[in-house]
Amino acid sequence: MTKRVFMLPLWIRLWHWSNALAIIVLSITGISLHFSDPGLPLVEFSLAARIHNIAGVCLAVLYAGFVIGNIVSGNWWQYVPKSPGVIQRCLRQMQFYGSGIFKGEAEPFPPTPEVNFNALQAVTYWSIMYLVMPVVILSGLVFLYPQFAPATLFGLDGLLPVALVHYLGAAVILLFMVSHIYLGTMGPKVSSLFKMMFTGWYEH
Amino acid sequence: MRGAAALLALLAAPLAFGDDPPPTPEELVKIRAANAECLSCHSEAGLKKPPKEGMDLKKLRSHLVHLDTFTASDHGQMACTKCHGDGYAEHPHAADAKDEIAECQDCHARKAMRIERQFDKSVHAENLSDTFTCKTCHNAHTMALASKLRDPHKIVAQDNKICLDCHDSDLAFAKMAPDNKKRPPIDEIHDWLPNTRLHWKAVRCVECHTPTEDKLSLSHEIQNKDKAEKKCATCHSANSSLNARLYRHLQAEEQNKYGFLNSVMLSSAYVVGATRNPTLDKALIALFIATVLGVIGHGIVRIITTRLRRSKNHD
Repeated sequence: MTKRVFMLPLWIRLWHWSNALAIIVLSITGISLHFSDPGLPLVEFSLAARIHNIAGVCLAVLYAGFVIGNIVSGNWWQYVPKSPGVIQRCLRQMQFYGSGIFKGEAEPFPPTPEVNFNALQAVTYWSIMYLVMPVVILSGLVFLYPQFAPATLFGLDGLLPVALVHYLGAAVILLFMVSHIYLGTMGPKVSSLFKMMFTGWYEH
Repeated sequence: MRGAAALLALLAAPLAFGDDPPPTPEELVKIRAANAECLSCHSEAGLKKPPKEGMDLKKLRSHLVHLDTFTASDHGQMACTKCHGDGYAEHPHAADAKDEIAECQDCHARKAMRIERQFDKSVHAENLSDTFTCKTCHNAHTMALASKLRDPHKIVAQDNKICLDCHDSDLAFAKMAPDNKKRPPIDEIHDWLPNTRLHWKAVRCVECHTPTEDKLSLSHEIQNKDKAEKKCATCHSANSSLNARLYRHLQAEEQNKYGFLNSVMLSSAYVVGATRNPTLDKALIALFIATVLGVIGHGIVRIITTRLRRSKNHD
């Protein structure tokens, strides 16, 4: 018999999916802008620029909501990897993804309402949400208001380092997104974790 | 490429001084001394402290020349009297002196012929053929060629001021425009262009409002919105048309600095889609493909091992 346990409050689910939508829109338009080519436009440049700006502001607002929500609800504690044994648990998790899962082993650290994330998840989510995201959002805001960028740097336009940081950070988020979606299939059933992200209930 | 540049320099050299050679240092000393006499009245200092009595100061006020700006301009090594003929040699100037002021084509004959053909197709010729002359846009006392200014910011500031002086001022526009023509609000008609005012600080109006056919200079066929460039990717791409326009004079300096495409632009502007680093792009694309393939591969192995286990359990 499947057991059901309530894991995720509505605000986290709403934030998660709006955030996901914003990031997908930003990825598609961002790629269109960076790899702009008159021969093969993914999204036409000026349209892509407008959508990217709007979606970027939405992402920044969502991020502010995420940070405030985490502080108010105490959910931020979920993202903190708990010592001792963080590295060992990360390695154990990697070992599960690398071989255990192929042998039909059970998930070593299944989610519970008290501890949502395994150690590897906590470390990755924390890095993405509190290191990479702020960098991408802040550099994006400078892009939106380039008057705040330094005029020049090492004889080149001051927007260059901002653009590079934005580009690299966005690439990290895109790579994370691909892995994140795939790892979403690693629940008791392929669909379990996706279902949980919609309903809030973890079935196992 | 170098051959073409040399040919361009050869062609441009006589044009820079009309069809005359540049003055020798001795001639230049004489020219400067003669010009100083003119500027003893026709300058801020002259206006404040007129060297002669009974001058029409109100008229003088609108005929001042700033020495430094003039010296830095394309005509800065020329005597005032080269264009302002004999009638201006003495003061008071001859009554008909104004009629004797030289026309641009007197010196720039070849250039004028080339430009005239382009100008005839322009929106200015279409609407204002009677009143629109070289001088409407080009102030002979201040203008400097882009190749002389070199700094893209300075080129943009100089050239866009010419357009915006009329097109961003109802008063100036009304002076030139046909009676029933109202000035289109410059921000409104460009509101399709993201970061409009920022664009105008970084590129010239003529970047989009002229065709690319002229190899010697920018075409003088100023085009209206029907013909003007509207595709962002014309500039915002690896093969950016800005190379043939705003940055044409700096192309010799292009060194793909730090491995960036169009790094010559990077000295003054980060142009999304144009100033990119192919090595970094390739590395990130490879990383993305590796991640996607890794995920797919992992998924396939999972499916296979799950099936194998299931069939084993059946046995």
